[in-house]
Amino acid sequence: MPLWFEILLRSGVLFFLVLVLMRIMGKRNPTRLTPFQFVNYTVIAVITSLTAVNIIENFFFGLTALGVFILLSLLLDYLSLRSKAIHDLVQGKETVLVVQGKVMEENLKDLRLTGEELLRELRRKEVFNLGDVEFAVMESTGDINVMLKSEKTPLTSYDLGRQVSPRREPQTVILDGNVLNDPLAEAGFNSNWLNEQLEKAGVTLDNVFIGQVDGQGELYLDLFDDSIQLPQPRVKEALYGNLERAQAEMESFFQETGDQEAKEIYENNAARLKELMEKLEPYLLR
Amino acid sequence: MTTASKLKQTLSSLKNARGTLRIYSTQTREEEGQKVFQEALETTGQVIDDLEKRLKEMELQEPQYEGN
Repeated sequence: MPLWFEILLRSGVLFFLVLVLMRIMGKRNPTRLTPFQFVNYTVIAVITSLTAVNIIENFFFGLTALGVFILLSLLLDYLSLRSKAIHDLVQGKETVLVVQGKVMEENLKDLRLTGEELLRELRRKEVFNLGDVEFAVMESTGDINVMLKSEKTPLTSYDLGRQVSPRREPQTVILDGNVLNDPLAEAGFNSNWLNEQLEKAGVTLDNVFIGQVDGQGELYLDLFDDSIQLPQPRVKEALYGNLERAQAEMESFFQETGDQEAKEIYENNAARLKELMEKLEPYLLR
Repeated sequence: MTTASKLKQTLSSLKNARGTLRIYSTQTREEEGQKVFQEALETTGQVIDDLEKRLKEMELQEPQYEGN
């Protein structure tokens, strides 16, 4: 067997073998590895390449080494799932860097991390003032994560004491002019509904690049032809406006009428609508 | 404009709102939202019933309002 042919064969086999093995090894982000995992992946890569170009002359020796590194790593992953102690031993534990705004110099020293490096990592997280930090921790992957002091964290609707409507994830129902049937069914619609909506918007399917349905069943369309201005339907705002107007009108009927019984009806129903509007507001206006 | 015809207008905008609420109560996927819209649908329906009853009374009492 000529050498070039052998290399061709080995490379071909290893290419697909490694592809399969890496799929088995999982979805871990290669930039978020613990140092040991990084070394492990590197060793796998090096063994593979040495075997492929015939530097490890016996193909099966190469495969054996490859197998050991992959199987042991899978075994350790499995054991780490089972036992916290093994997990900490293999993956390492996180180290606290800042507590209640105070830097833990001892821990920094253990990690051989200088103050400058700490500040650099904080800036990466868009924290420029050490004084804004309540708590910071270095994960076993070497990433630093920061919890800001409560007055420096972004506002949420909870902080404002405002109720907002819960929402479900949007479903992408059109991509590149093709209807995606599974997400459409997930959103609770069928192609008839979609065709109706497209007709209402006055566009053809093949002019739609992306179409998404949000949790309340509203369809958003992005067209290939950007010169077409799609009307933005304000159905929810109009609905709220309708209720608001009806409510105001009933209040004025209440003022105008002399009939005691009628007064009561108007008053009750105006109050009912008012309550209804308060309940609907988070769903319609936000 | 007479009170009866004003009331008719209010009724029609409420019915309009009820239709839209019905659409949202069926097409909202999120459960809590579905419930809120369904309750809203019911309440609106009750308000409409009340007002329609009132409208009928008015038309009985003063027949000249009819058709305005």
